Amino acid sequence: MGNIKVTVNHNRCVGSQLCMHFLPDVFDLDGNGQAIVCGLDDTDVTTLVQTAEQCPQCAIKVEDESTGEVLFPPAELGM
Amino acid sequence: MTTYLVKDDLMAPEVIADPHAYYRALRETDPVHWNERWKGWVLTGYKEVVDVLRDAENFSSDRMGYLASELTQEEQESIAPIFHVLKYWMVFRDPPEHTVLRMLLNKLFTPVAIERYRPMVRKIVQKTLDKVVASGKMELIRDFAYEVPMTVILELIGAPDLDRDKIKEWSEAIGVFFFIKADEPRRREIACEGINSMVEYIKPLIEHRRENPGIDLISLLISAEEAGQINYNDVIATCVLLVFGGHETTMNLIANGTLALMEHPEQWEKLRNDPKLLKKGVEELLRYDGSVKSTVRWAKADVMVGGKQIKKGERLLVSLSGANRDPLQFDSPDDLDVTRDPNLHVAFAHGIHVCLGASLARMEVEEAFAGLINRISCPVLEEESYLNYYPSVVHRALKNLPIRFDQIK
Repeated sequence: MGNIKVTVNHNRCVGSQLCMHFLPDVFDLDGNGQAIVCGLDDTDVTTLVQTAEQCPQCAIKVEDESTGEVLFPPAELGM
Repeated sequence: MTTYLVKDDLMAPEVIADPHAYYRALRETDPVHWNERWKGWVLTGYKEVVDVLRDAENFSSDRMGYLASELTQEEQESIAPIFHVLKYWMVFRDPPEHTVLRMLLNKLFTPVAIERYRPMVRKIVQKTLDKVVASGKMELIRDFAYEVPMTVILELIGAPDLDRDKIKEWSEAIGVFFFIKADEPRRREIACEGINSMVEYIKPLIEHRRENPGIDLISLLISAEEAGQINYNDVIATCVLLVFGGHETTMNLIANGTLALMEHPEQWEKLRNDPKLLKKGVEELLRYDGSVKSTVRWAKADVMVGGKQIKKGERLLVSLSGANRDPLQFDSPDDLDVTRDPNLHVAFAHGIHVCLGASLARMEVEEAFAGLINRISCPVLEEESYLNYYPSVVHRALKNLPIRFDQIK
């Protein structure tokens, strides 16, 4: 696995907390009730992508920094 | 300050006709307002609305629990079907029960999961338009805005042949309980009849799916029940919720969006000239005049909101429409701008109860407008007709929308 980067777009996040429930070690809430990434530890990339998929707002982006590839959201969602 | 504001009459005809003016006046004078008539707080500022919606620890959605506390045992029994079904609706539950159900159902409604239904929705839109475009006129709600989401939700639950007239009738009866005519004296009885009828109609379908599972939503609910993740009451209630919630709000969204574009034909042209704008355009239609004007929460503790002390047990009418026109959050909030970005509106609410069907609604409305802008000119209101909204604090629902247009060939 390359360098995986996970970001939450706060112009999209509505604070559904789903990411936090699916991956409590990776996601937390900030003082505004929006999701933040608190650390990826050894979470595998498939789990990260599956969790990003659960976001109703497509606010979570998963990228492979070493290749620049966006692993989520897929291009066909037009996000 | 206008008279109706003083009277706190949320159902006043001028408030129903133009809620945005009312909420603007309220937001400018008292964004966390005690409404003496409704005996609750009315929130119209974006920040206050978002703060409450994102705080499920201090604000409950347990509508049935709070309703029960206001009724005698006898009164509760007289409307037992409401309690038996609606208390299992995810929208009226707090964590941890809400979390279990949401995590389960959410997988079926993610943007990726919904995307695979797009070709089906596109076909339904085209077939529906095929029937009406040649005549150059239609009653948009009856002929299009209702047809599309109803057909889609019946496909999704795997029951395209259900009697949609009956479902519409029962949905309207259930809607009386929450949305329409808070002053209708028989509203609870009417809702009971609607719920009973819908449950009895859906039960055999559930049993049929149990014997003949498919890839539809009911089959997925049954497999979750059989795996012990949810119970039979959850299955029944969720089916009712999907059918009820799956068409009404989307229908109103298509209607309100069409009207908004009719009033801003230059925005219709922008979408027509650049269909890539549709995603942003739909977000703007949601913000500008969404189909759900407000939602309700109950304070679980004494808590401050926007400098006001809310006491434990008090209720709050959280105005999504009010927040969506707050100039502190949106530039020129009363302008319709299909290119608006970012656009973090609250039309689907925020927080843990953000609409489960949001991705489905977005995709359906995108397809509906993609179909409309390709096949007809920007419509105009049929002569001698006028706009009439259902009297509801919650729903922004036109009674009908008769339009004229030119077919694009």
